[in-house]
Amino acid sequence: MEQVKAAFGSFFGAIGGFFKNFGNAVAKGDIFVKLSLLWMGAGYCRRKQFIKAILITIFEVAVIAFTFGFAMDYVTKFSTLGTVQQESVFNIVTMKNEFNDYDHSFLILLMSLVSFVVWIIFAVVYLNNIIHAYELQKLAESGKHINTFREDMREFLNRKFHITLLTLPVIGIIIFTVIPFFVLFLVAFTNYDQQHMPPSALFTWVGFRNFRDLFSSGGLTVTFGYAFVRVLAWTLIWAVFATFTTYIGGILLSLLINHKNTKLPRFWRTLFIITIAVPQFVSLLLVRNFFANNGIANTFCANIGLTGWLRDIGAISTSYIPFLSAPGWAHVMIVIINIWVGVPYQMLIATGVLMNIPTEQMESAKIDGATPRQIFVHITMPYVLFITGPSLVTDFVKNINNFNVIFLLTNGVFTTTNQLMANSQAKEVDLLVTWLYTLTQDYYNYKMASAIGIIVFLICAVFTLVSFNRLIQGDREEAYR
Amino acid sequence: MKKKYIDMILRHVLLAFLAFIWLIPIVWLFVTSFSTYPGRNTSTFFPEHWTLNNYKNLLFAADSVAQFPNWFKNTFIVACCSCIISSAFVLMVAYATSCMRFKMRKPLMNIGVILNLFPGFLSMIAVYFILRTLNLTNNHWGLVLVYSASSGLGYLIAKGFFDTIPASLREAAYLDGASEATIFYKVVVPMSQPIIVYTVISSFLAPWMDFVFAKMILNAGISSKWTVSIGLFNMLDKSLINTYFTQFCAGGVLVSIPISALFVIMQKFYVEGVTGGSVKG
Repeated sequence: MEQVKAAFGSFFGAIGGFFKNFGNAVAKGDIFVKLSLLWMGAGYCRRKQFIKAILITIFEVAVIAFTFGFAMDYVTKFSTLGTVQQESVFNIVTMKNEFNDYDHSFLILLMSLVSFVVWIIFAVVYLNNIIHAYELQKLAESGKHINTFREDMREFLNRKFHITLLTLPVIGIIIFTVIPFFVLFLVAFTNYDQQHMPPSALFTWVGFRNFRDLFSSGGLTVTFGYAFVRVLAWTLIWAVFATFTTYIGGILLSLLINHKNTKLPRFWRTLFIITIAVPQFVSLLLVRNFFANNGIANTFCANIGLTGWLRDIGAISTSYIPFLSAPGWAHVMIVIINIWVGVPYQMLIATGVLMNIPTEQMESAKIDGATPRQIFVHITMPYVLFITGPSLVTDFVKNINNFNVIFLLTNGVFTTTNQLMANSQAKEVDLLVTWLYTLTQDYYNYKMASAIGIIVFLICAVFTLVSFNRLIQGDREEAYR
Repeated sequence: MKKKYIDMILRHVLLAFLAFIWLIPIVWLFVTSFSTYPGRNTSTFFPEHWTLNNYKNLLFAADSVAQFPNWFKNTFIVACCSCIISSAFVLMVAYATSCMRFKMRKPLMNIGVILNLFPGFLSMIAVYFILRTLNLTNNHWGLVLVYSASSGLGYLIAKGFFDTIPASLREAAYLDGASEATIFYKVVVPMSQPIIVYTVISSFLAPWMDFVFAKMILNAGISSKWTVSIGLFNMLDKSLINTYFTQFCAGGVLVSIPISALFVIMQKFYVEGVTGGSVKG
């Protein structure tokens, strides 16, 4: 938790320092620095950096044009998400039915967000600009050299190279991660669903109603509360089982392969790696057909009499074993199939760790007369657990979001018979993420999907903060300096 | 001595048994791809009659459902483009955060960790709408952007590697008058071959393995524009499975071969990446 606090501290500290510099620049700057508050190029002009002055002026004009020519159309409607419904109006001039000048709720939401981001970027550049103008003033006053434009540009390959490197990746992350995150966050507080689909209909803010639906139980037609509890429980159970079975299985398998009595360890390793090198959509879709109701596994079980025996003891009521099509059976099968998928990965990791155990401890333990079993229990195992332990948390989070395994194994195969689950488009084997996917792709229920998305994010955040320190790896970074 | 032999035999029997179980689906994939019966083979494990026709149909007789050569080409193009962009992004961010020191470095890295918490998968809906606003849905460029635009967040493994390059090397180059940019591609990049191989291969593989985003963005149903994964998934549709199952298997074998080869090269670096570089070797 200390690291978390330190991380937030450093973040706000940096912001605070930035504003202090700005205040300082405005207070102590000359008339041109102050003029830069209005015309961003003023400071540069005074120091004869004309190209920079022109560029920053173009930027300023562009942002102003963006604000009044584009952003204001949307941002002013942000509080209502639009009021004019789409209607078909007969135009006397063209003699045709045309749409009126309607509001598109989603575009209003999205473009307002884009505008906010642009304004935040502008604010940072603007404040920085003042600080920079003041720095130039100080340089000029002390008679030092002021960079020409060419020299300034060269700085971007040298002292400011990080800006050159980071600009494009950061823009990519803002457009494809930050803005989508906020869109999701905002949609969770609207009534954006199939009855409120832009452009033909408007949607609007509804406060916490979606979350109330998600957490309240009761009701027969809208059963999100009922389904949510069950899906969440299965998501967590699945994540626990999937994480621990593959983790333990992987370590055991790697111990088996890397034991000194095992011949050809490379050969055995390769056999297992082949199974994960095949893309999941091929291998899982295949396994799904292998265990289909009329699939080959069922033929085999019927031939050896297993199906008949299970029917006799009352475990199944059908003429086949519903490996992936009945609750209970499907849950167990999914975990088992996931062992098949996940163990080779964990085996690879554990092998890497086992091969790099520091030998000094083992040597000295041997000299002290420890038996191989004692060495294993007191040195090998603790070391392996210590190194790989933290990755358990990351694996757990990954499994909560393990869309592929569940979707590829059960989509189109498993249909729920529980009417209450079906009313909210959920299935017993759904994870929160697959439920979210069905809600958006098949039922256009964006409001509930977004609310579920936020819940998933919160769950993942709690678990990841636990391993925060390790993810940042701040402790290792200076080791080689 | 006798005890050791028993131990050895038991170990190998157990391993052989496990390997057998693990390989059943793979073997089934392989043998079914040679079956003459086009639907699911439900009675026997091995096909009754063997043929190469499935491969021939898949590669040379594309119809409206199975357009494997097209899909392969599409996936290959998307994979190449997104591989170039995301490798560049990852290495750029890794160099900036590892080798340079600037004021916003730590805060930016922390924001990165928090953003990474947010599974890209959840942003799907919003990303779809953004791409639709930009008119990039049902378009390979949209797909490339989805795979590569946020790739900068996956810089941690490469950063861990750059951290191990001795700072003295860079300082020496700096004293000789090299700029940061020169140091980046004349000193650091040539020394980072393993991590570059890892980054390039893993970002190249992503479009081949991905299914969700491709299905969402190329959803208009123009099968010639699909990637391999949606194409093969579609072959198993309830109405098609009885005519295309063996071709699905043949397609599965064909994509698996190049991917497995790349994967085997990459797995050496995979271990180090996941254990956060705590392992050297």
